[in-house]
This record gives sequence, structure tokens and C-alpha cells, in this order.
Amino acid sequence: MGRLGGALMSEFEPKIVAFVCNWCTYAGADLTGTSRIKYASNVKIVRFPCTGRIDFMLLLKAFAEGADGIIVSGCHPNDCHYTSGNFHARRRWVIFRGLLNFMGIDVNRIQFSWVSAAEGAKWADVVNGTVTTIRELGPYTEYRKAADYLVQQDKSIIDGQEALIKSVSSL
Amino acid sequence: MSKIGVFICHCGENISATVDCERVAAEAGKMDGVEFATDYKYMCSDPGQTLIKNAIKEKGLTGVVVGACSPRMHEPTFRKACAEAGLNPYLCEMSNLREHCSWVHEKNEQTTEKAIDLVKMLVEKVKKNKPLNAIKVPITKKALVIGGGIAGIQAALDIANAGQQVIMVEKEPSIGGHMSQLSETFPTLDCSQCILTPRMVEVAQHPNITLYTYAELEHLDGFIGNFKATIRLKAKSVDYKLCTGCGACTTKCPNKKIPSEFNEGLGMRTAIYTPFPQAVPNKPVIDRANCTYYQKGKCKVCEKVCPTGAIQYDLPDQFITEDIGAVVIATGFNVLKTDFFPEYGYGKYADVLTGLQFERLASASGPTLGEIRRPSDGKVPKKIVFIACSGSRDPAKGIPYCSKICCMYTAKHAMLYQHKVHDGESYVFYMDIRAGGKNYEEFVRRAIEDDGVNYIRGRVARIYEKDGKYIVKGADTLLGSKPVEIEADMVVLATAGVSNPGAEELAQKMHVSYDAYKFFAEAHPKLKPVETNTAGIFLCGACQAPKDIPETVGMASGAAAKVIGLFSNNELTREPLIAVVNRSAPPVFSTCVGCFMCQTACPYNAIEREEIKGRDGSVIKTVAKVNPGLCQGCGTCVAFCRSKAIDIQGFSNEQMFAEVMALMNE
Amino acid sequence: MEDVLIEKKPAIAGNSFSGELQKTANELLQSGEVELFIGYEEGTRFPRPCFIASTDEVGKLIFDDRCTGNLAVYLTRKDLIGDKKVGITASYFALRSILRLLTEHQIQLDKLVVLTVSAEKEVIRFATTDDITAYLQTAPIPVREDDKALIEKLNAMSREERWEFWSAELSKCFKCYACRAACPMCYCTKCIVEENRPQWIQPWASTLANIEWHINRAMHMTGRCADCGACGAACPLGLPIHLLSHQIVQEVTDNFALDVNQAVSGDNALSTFKPEDKENFIK
Repeated sequence: MGRLGGALMSEFEPKIVAFVCNWCTYAGADLTGTSRIKYASNVKIVRFPCTGRIDFMLLLKAFAEGADGIIVSGCHPNDCHYTSGNFHARRRWVIFRGLLNFMGIDVNRIQFSWVSAAEGAKWADVVNGTVTTIRELGPYTEYRKAADYLVQQDKSIIDGQEALIKSVSSL
Repeated sequence: MSKIGVFICHCGENISATVDCERVAAEAGKMDGVEFATDYKYMCSDPGQTLIKNAIKEKGLTGVVVGACSPRMHEPTFRKACAEAGLNPYLCEMSNLREHCSWVHEKNEQTTEKAIDLVKMLVEKVKKNKPLNAIKVPITKKALVIGGGIAGIQAALDIANAGQQVIMVEKEPSIGGHMSQLSETFPTLDCSQCILTPRMVEVAQHPNITLYTYAELEHLDGFIGNFKATIRLKAKSVDYKLCTGCGACTTKCPNKKIPSEFNEGLGMRTAIYTPFPQAVPNKPVIDRANCTYYQKGKCKVCEKVCPTGAIQYDLPDQFITEDIGAVVIATGFNVLKTDFFPEYGYGKYADVLTGLQFERLASASGPTLGEIRRPSDGKVPKKIVFIACSGSRDPAKGIPYCSKICCMYTAKHAMLYQHKVHDGESYVFYMDIRAGGKNYEEFVRRAIEDDGVNYIRGRVARIYEKDGKYIVKGADTLLGSKPVEIEADMVVLATAGVSNPGAEELAQKMHVSYDAYKFFAEAHPKLKPVETNTAGIFLCGACQAPKDIPETVGMASGAAAKVIGLFSNNELTREPLIAVVNRSAPPVFSTCVGCFMCQTACPYNAIEREEIKGRDGSVIKTVAKVNPGLCQGCGTCVAFCRSKAIDIQGFSNEQMFAEVMALMNE
Repeated sequence: MEDVLIEKKPAIAGNSFSGELQKTANELLQSGEVELFIGYEEGTRFPRPCFIASTDEVGKLIFDDRCTGNLAVYLTRKDLIGDKKVGITASYFALRSILRLLTEHQIQLDKLVVLTVSAEKEVIRFATTDDITAYLQTAPIPVREDDKALIEKLNAMSREERWEFWSAELSKCFKCYACRAACPMCYCTKCIVEENRPQWIQPWASTLANIEWHINRAMHMTGRCADCGACGAACPLGLPIHLLSHQIVQEVTDNFALDVNQAVSGDNALSTFKPEDKENFIK
């Protein structure tokens, strides 16, 4: 049973979204590519001009749409292409993370990092590390349950509606 | 209805070795709104681009996704190709299948699946793309150069010689800066004034340069190509139109005991003065704080002796505004004074000098006419000690950086001393000798080997006075920290180069950033050394960090080249990837509520207030407006705006939302 | 029925502090210094807001510990006050909101007379924002004991339990937006929930859409919330949603060393930063 459980867990391939800035982490991930460093293919990168641009709502949307984990990454402090976008982003994430944690949303599923354009190897580590973490945490069905509108509706009403539709269409 | 074309590149085998490109194209073809999808060996090649162009024309595509390498590599290429086929270039997006997929994953099913997802994300994004047009900003072809030292002089002359107008603002009564104070310059020992003064004269006489001395920048508004500078012309109390510079006033001024700034306090000047004989302009100003008439209400000797009636006591400060297209900051640096060093006598020993003071002693135009004499008693010092790194490279004193020029000028000082005092003995205490630069190392070796300067590697712990001598107590670390004690007649401290007082205030006026030491910050330490983070404002010389003359001149020419480049067009073309505050029909006008939180979020001060007025001219609403000349497109404001009234073109809320929503849908 | 009750009251009397408040309001209206006075009157169960345009009505005015609703919410309602010069009896929390609204350019002090009644039953009139700030620093902060118990309970929970609690609570929300209507900071022309390009938050009431709405509401309060609890008090279901904005207040204080009085009177906590800001989660 334990072995079976373990085997099942290892089959879980987490879906991970990465929100990154164009100038540091996106370029860093490009460097991972040009250096041919391999990493897990679970992550898909969304490019933003700056971490300052990343709306916290997009993180919530990613969870709602099925992400099991999220990476948010940009330039190291003092390295921002726009001088201070990452400082603003840092404050935003401090507050957002605090609020999510207070509401019981699993902040361990969001990996925040600074990856510079020179840190191709670090990018691979961040992705692989996040994949490992999320694999241990399992799929984020807990949050998606809240997203499933139909499941929350009264089953009898839906059944009733379906019955009605059937009866109408059979006419 | 969208008609998107998807073009999957094999990149030779770079992508196709691990990603099934045919399948990606086939799957893309089934995506909602995709009109045409294909794959090709080299999409960036001429036939590849032709393939895209033909598809745009034949299929009437409304958007293009190229699945190939990183957009950081070829986005401009494909956007240009689209534009050539008549599609707005900003309706083309790239999906990064190479750097972010094929090169980093193994060849398997998941890798191809990921490639399909990556394409889908960009297909959904591009559906929300809007055609954009490059932003055109008019340019006022006139540069403001702040600071009239060698950096400002070089930049101004380069710009003026390229046929552009220059306004130079110098806060002192004469241009020339620190370079005019120097005796000889390393590594050639040519006389500083001999090479500088012709350039100062050239500035004054250049038809394209308007020179304002004794003036400061009061205010700077606007943005690249379109600045408005307010300049304060400090009251000189002398009408320069009438003054001939005869010097009668300065000779007769009864107040003769004011320490001369030019001579670093080693000589005296009068209250009405020209800083030095070769000053440009060679006309005096009245130093009101030290003038008997201004302080006590009577004297007016200068007025009496002036043959042209040029003295005008009640001239106030004047303000002028100038339209400017670009700014070059060349405000230079300063050095720490000796009173910064308690261990070297808090500045109370008359013969413990700064390097800059020693320059004045060694200078033929200096207070001793170039003879090295002690300020205290006028005697020629027979034993002299130079202390390098006085303050520099000392985190405990708050100056952790290397001031860069001191190793070289200390070697020069020792050499000049040996040349002038043949029987003298000179010692240099140093931490390391940093002589990187053409002929620099050779210069230091000459000081040591040819001129017999004694170099001692070690720090000086203390200096105290004893029987008319200065006892310099240090250690020689190359001899196992053996204590060294020298009875010196004079000590010269190579005090650290620091930012000018007022640099911070000036930076804030111009909205440029500065570092922890109040030196102005370049936009990028490697690739944008003469730009600031504010477009249209450039930097040169020691206001950015201490540097020597050749480096300063090189940087000044670099900044000038940037200005000349900017002025080579009548309009400035900028990427339209900037933030925009929405506007809508009355009575709403804009969903912006005018809380102006975005103003503090913007790193570029690009957000302005716009008053929306009714027909009668009354203000209905005050809302935010993004200045397209200043916005750099970071989008920080967009993520802040609670009511989403501000959005960024190219990475809009709709685009990013669509991209994220596409990401997970199976 | 209520009109009768009010009529029974003497024109200027009541307890002493109400009396002084009424006197001040009367003077302000009579002199024309204000054209509309916003205060509290006795309601059926609790005091409720009242809007007085004539000196005849000043007798209604009361102010006591039960007057907790944040009247600052009316200061941005153009339909209600137009261009009139307004006087207001502000509670401790409303003073915070007024400071914030001033910082956010939503109201002007030259068209506003701000009054409060101190713990010593004194009517105080504020001339400048500095006066308000000074008062906030010295006056006792009203505490809400019932919140304390719930916060302690939540803090003792595991993450999973907190999620159970909040998803269950917020699943009940039917998006009446009473919380928004009660909040002085919710003055936007267009709220995020009305934004449909893109449709950030689904318009219907479902657990997810409700959670997203309340996260947005709380995030938008960062550095702006007066911590008055009006949102929670306004909720017809009694959902403790004010604890979300309270948590934000707490996070701002803990992380950026800005107490709530400092936060509301300065540049916004999120649209500013310090290079030395600390965090422990960015790798």
C-alpha cells in the first residue's frame, strides 16, 4: 500500500507557471537554454516587462485554472532594469503572501526568487526545486474545488434542470 | 474574428531534435482562431520570412505567432517582416520554443506537449494584441551642460563642434574646474593650465555655446527632447557688458584676507575677485558675504575706481528659462579636507595638506609660484611624507571605495617634489599601488627608480607635532609590520575623492538616481555608462565616480556623442510599449479616480496630472496621464491601479490575462 | 414613528457632549461655514447617520461610544454633497479615513470642517492634517474585543483549518457589496469587480469569485485601511471580512514598520519602498 502510494505520488506531474521579468529572469532562462542545462518540463514561462508589472490576480487565476505551483522571479534588488520595479514587487508579495497565508491558501506553492540574466544554472535549480516541492505537496485540488462552480451548486437543482432539459428535448 | 498564423521553426535541428515540430504546427492549426499553421527549417532565413509574409497577404492574417527562439533574439526580425507584409508589427508575438523548451528538455512526449502549450499561450495573447504605432517625440536641439570643468568643457565643445547649440552652466565665477588648479598632469607631466586654458577660451568664444558662469540649475521639467530648464544667474554685482576686466577693482579692494578657493586656502583673495588670472570669463564678481559694503553698508571703493561704471550693487539674482533637448551632468567631485582625519591632527597642523593643496604649492601660478614651501613658515621642507588612501578603501570611515586617482597623483607629487627639492627626501605610505592605465605603471616605477622616492607599504597610525617636525608613525607591512617613524617637515594626504556638496539635491531636481556616496548613478554599469536612468540626461566625469583626466575626457566625448546622436533626428522614435491611462466618454472621462498612487510607484516621474475641463473651463476631474516621452514601460503602475484605469501597451491586462488563462486549459 | 421620537427631544440639550456638538453644528450652519453637516442621530436600534442642512435639525445630533459607523464614507459621494461645504463628526477611525482621503486627493480640507468628540467629551475642531495626526497619536484607540477572540482562534488554526474556515465563510457571500458601500476607501469610479476586459472576477457569487473579490478588496486596502471594521459591520451575513483588511494593516505594520496612523497619512505603503525592506521568502 505504501509502495503503491509512493508510486502514485511519483506519477503526479505538477503544473507550474512562472511569472518572470523580461530583463533578468527571462534572459537567465534563455541562458539556461544556450548552456543546454536540462530541467523539468513542468514549467511554462510568462514574460512580463518587470516584476513590478505582475498583478497578484494573475497568480490567483493560475491557481484557479489548474496550476499546482507558481514561480515568480525577477531581477535581484538594485539590479532592476527599471531601477525599482522589483522593490515595489517585493512589497506587494510581502503583503499578498501574508494575506494568503492568513486565509489558509498554501503559500508554499509560490516560489519567489531573484534570478539574474547570468544565472542560467540557478534558474534550472529554481525550477527543479519547485517541481520537487510541489510534487511533495501534491495537486492543489483544495483550491480548485473552490473554483468549480457547478460542484458547489445544489445537486438536486442541477439534476432537476437536467431532467427538465431531457423532458423538453424528448417532446 | 481572429485569423492567426502560427509559424513553427525547426531552427535547423535545434528545436526539431527534441520537439516534434510538425505535430506542434498541426495542433496549432486546430486552435481556436488559428487560420494557418506551418513549420519550416529556418524561419528567420529569407525564405522563412517570405513564407510568413506570403501567408499574411494570402490568408489575410490578423496576428502572427512565431514559435522559434527567444523573442530577445529575433522579435525585431519577425516584427519587421510582418510590417513589410502590411501587418502592424505589434501584432506579432514569439513563442520561445528553443531556449525555454527544446534546449532544456529531453526528447519526449512532454516536451512536444509543452511546446504546444507555449504556442497556445501566445496565440491567446496575440488575439488581444492591438496595433500600435511608434511614438514620435519632437526634439529641441539644444544641450544643457552642467559644470564647466574639463568634463563639461569637452562635452560642450564636442556638441558645439557638431553644429548643435549648447548652454553651459558653471556655479563658480570661472570655468576650468579642478583641472585648472592642477600643476602638472600624470603620466606626461605636461602643465595642466597649458592644455586646459585654450579649451576654456574656445568655450567662451564658440558661436554655438552660451556660457553662464556664477549660475546654477534651479529647476528642470519635462522629458527627453523637451526639457525646460530654469537657471539661476547669481548676482555678480558687476555688469559684464560694461566691465573690461581691467582689474582696477580687484587691486584696490581693501578686503584682501579672504582664503582663496582656487588656492585651496593657501593664498588670499579680495572680496571683488576673479578666481585666478586665466579665468574665463576674466571678469570679477563680488563675494557679497565677504564684502564690506554688503556687510557694513559702506566702502564702495570698487565703484569709485571702476573706469566704466560697471559695478552695480543692487543687481538681484536673475532667472532664465531655456528649452533644452538633452542634459549633460558634469558637476565633478571634491576631496575630503584634512579636518576629516583626527589621527592626522584634525586639520590643525598647517603643514599637513591635501593633495589638491599640494597641487597649488607645486603650481607655477600658485601662492608660492611653484616652489614647495611650508605654509606655516615658508621654509622648504627637506623631508616629506605622502599618505595614499587617506580615507579611501576604509569602510570604517565610510568610504569603502578606491578613489582611483590618488596612487598616480601621489607618485606625481613625490616626483615633482624631488624635481624641485633636489636634496629632499620623500616617502609614500601606500596600501597597494594601483597604476592601471597607459604609461601609468612606468610612471610610478620612474618615481621610485629614477627619482628615488621611498615607497613604504603600510598605514600611518598617527601624526603629531614635535619641535617643529611632524612625527609620522606607521608600519612597514613588507617588513613584518615593523614600526616606522619619520620626522617630516610636511605631510600630504591623498584624501578620498567624494561627491560634491549639493549633488544629492541636484540629482533630485533632475530625477536621476545616485548611489550611497551621492555620486550620480549610470543607467547600466557596463553598457550604459554615460546614460542615467532618465532618458535624455547623460553623465560624464567625476560626478559619477572619481576618475582621472583621460577617462573623464573620454566619458565626456561619449556623453557628447549620445547627445549628438539624439539631435541627429528631428523626432525621437520610441517603442510604444508604454503605459496609458484610459479615457472614455463623458460624464466619466476616465475610470481613473485621481488617487495618484501611481505617481509614487513610477520610477521615471512619467505620470502627470491632467485636468479635464468642461466647456466653461471649470475643472471636472483631475486624472493621471502618462507622459509618453518619460515612460519606459515597466508597468509597475499598472499592477497598482485598483480600478485598472492604467494599462500597458504590449503587456496589457487583457493580453496577460488571456495568456495565463490559456496556460492551464487542457 | 421615529420623527415623533426626535420631536420629543429638546432642540439643544441631551447629554452634555451632544449639547456642545449641537451648539457647534448650529454655529457652523448658521454662519454658513458649512452647508451640510454629517453626524449621527438616534436610530431604531443603533445610532445612524444623519445629514443636516438646516439649524432646525441640529437637535438630532448625538455622539457616543455606539457611534462607530465610518461617516467619512459620505465625503466622496458627490451625489450627496455636491460642491457643498461640509461639516462632519468623525469617530477615531473616520479621522484616519479622512487623512487618507486627503492624501489621495479625494477631499479638500478647505471645504471641510472636521470635528470629533474626545474621551473627555470635548468637541475638537481640526484645522490642519497635523492636528488630526497629533490627535490620533494621543487619543485612545477604540478596541473591539470580539475580534480579538476570533483572531486568536484563527491564529491557533493550522493552514488547512484556516482554509476550511475562510472558504466556508466566504462561500456564503452573495456579493451584495455592502462592505464596499460602507468603506470610505471604496470610492473608485469603476471597481475591479465591474471590470470586464478582462473579467478578472466572475460576476456571480461562487466560492472562488467571492474569495477573489475579498482578496482584491483587502489588497486594495493596503496602507489605506483605517481598520474601522465598517466592512464587517455592514455585512448582512455577519462574515468577519474586516479581519482580512485588519490582517493587511498588521502586515504593513510588521513588515514596513508603519503603524496604521503613519500608513494612512503618508505615501502609500505599496507604491513606495525602501531598498532595505526585509523578507524571508525570496530565494
